[in-house]
Amino acid sequence: MLKLLKKDLRLALHPTCILFLLLSGMLLIPNYPYYVVFFYTTLGIFFTCLTGRENKDIVFSAMLPVRKTDIVNARIALAVIAELAQMAVAVPFAVLRSAIGGANMAGMDANTALFGMSFIMLGLFNLVFFTGYYKNPDRIGMPFLRGCIVTFLFIGAAEAAAATLPFFCDRLDTPDPAFMTEKLLLLAAGAVLFALLTALAAHLSRRRFARLDL
Amino acid sequence: MTAPYNSVLEVRGLCKSYPSFSLKDVSFSLRPGKITGFIGRNGAGKTTTLKALLDLVHPDGGEIRFFGNSGFGEAKTRGMVGFVSGGADFYPRKKLSAITDAVRGFYPTWDETAYSRYMKLFDLDHGKTPSQLSQGMKIKYSLALALSHGAALLLLDEPTSGLDPISRDELSDIFLSLSRSGKTILFSTHITDDLDKCADDIIYIRNGRIAAESELQAFVDGYRTVLLDTAEAAGNEDILIGAKPAKHGISALIGRDSFHLFPQAAPASLDDIMVHLEKQNSVPEADGIPGDAFKEVSEC
Repeated sequence: MLKLLKKDLRLALHPTCILFLLLSGMLLIPNYPYYVVFFYTTLGIFFTCLTGRENKDIVFSAMLPVRKTDIVNARIALAVIAELAQMAVAVPFAVLRSAIGGANMAGMDANTALFGMSFIMLGLFNLVFFTGYYKNPDRIGMPFLRGCIVTFLFIGAAEAAAATLPFFCDRLDTPDPAFMTEKLLLLAAGAVLFALLTALAAHLSRRRFARLDL
Repeated sequence: MTAPYNSVLEVRGLCKSYPSFSLKDVSFSLRPGKITGFIGRNGAGKTTTLKALLDLVHPDGGEIRFFGNSGFGEAKTRGMVGFVSGGADFYPRKKLSAITDAVRGFYPTWDETAYSRYMKLFDLDHGKTPSQLSQGMKIKYSLALALSHGAALLLLDEPTSGLDPISRDELSDIFLSLSRSGKTILFSTHITDDLDKCADDIIYIRNGRIAAESELQAFVDGYRTVLLDTAEAAGNEDILIGAKPAKHGISALIGRDSFHLFPQAAPASLDDIMVHLEKQNSVPEADGIPGDAFKEVSEC
């Protein structure tokens, strides 16, 4: 699996996955729906899979001395690396945003809770996108569209909660370091959910891909 | 050096059904160190068979054995089999050096000296991308990769399609030289001219069934072509195979048992044989055809 991951990093990774890391800097925009920063990561994953189709990556990989299921594992691992890298690059910008101060009038503040919620959002995307993609890798548009719909429904619900639910408004949607216990708990819960949803995505994708005729 | 197997690849009763096409009871085997032409018209089932061999499609039934016992699922087998597709364009915008770097780590048997030798022999430049190579050069690059990881069996899917006659001839020379060094080659094509020069054996697939499996020369020697006028043809419908209109009369194939009836019959080329057999509504029984050229088929 590691060899396939190395191959994916070398051949398959779309350059936008690297470029979109820089969009973490959008957390410095004073008023902005910051979830969008993490949506760009999903776009990079989509471009990687899309160019993979044009480059016949799946048949190329299937000809190598690897297990078919490892092709799925490696690609999802690549996506997780891109998602975690986006998070890691976003952290210093979020810290800077909190240091500058001022509430975000367009949505959630760039704080620890935002990262916890974004973990959940990315986990949901992984589940919807990859399970659809590995059902038929030639038809990648619909799985991505479904992934986008789920992502934006989640963003809408999260922003609505931040605007209306008292616990969200008063504690989670506040600049760091206020209410850090609650935010850190949300971050941990988000990370666990991300891991569970991605593991489920990998499990279902492996099963679907194993049955697939290429 | 010839590989120590009676059969490098053995396929028994392979079946696969699609809504509009089926592979039915496909069985054949490959002799070590020989070039076997896998022929049939477009859509006859050549690529589907190769895909089934390579685990890319799941057969509904049947058995596939590489090198005596193992299926393609085993990593060791994959290292010993090289697949070269005439139509595949893997990573056309990446440099050959990047593709090779990504591939070599997968094979413990990778031979860097052999790789450099083949790249030089085939006049391939590491700095180029597949999109900058001609179709023939792409095939050579795929061959260089397969040979560098020690493939003993090469599965070639339409490697000469779309090539000019000189490139096709060049590839035939390469296949011959590989065969002489002990490599076994299964060469799928609908361009039968390519096989006249290099193939030892022939497998003919028709409508998803294996219609013939034979040594090439014996297969070709088992038929002759005749040119008859309409009246002559009318009296010999039972003997004539795949009769079809020709410029002056009727052209047809005859089996060995009928050679004495038509002294004017001319030797048939592989092309003639395929064209006339494809005209038949059904594949004829082994009437004067050498060996076990025509095989019985059964449903899966």
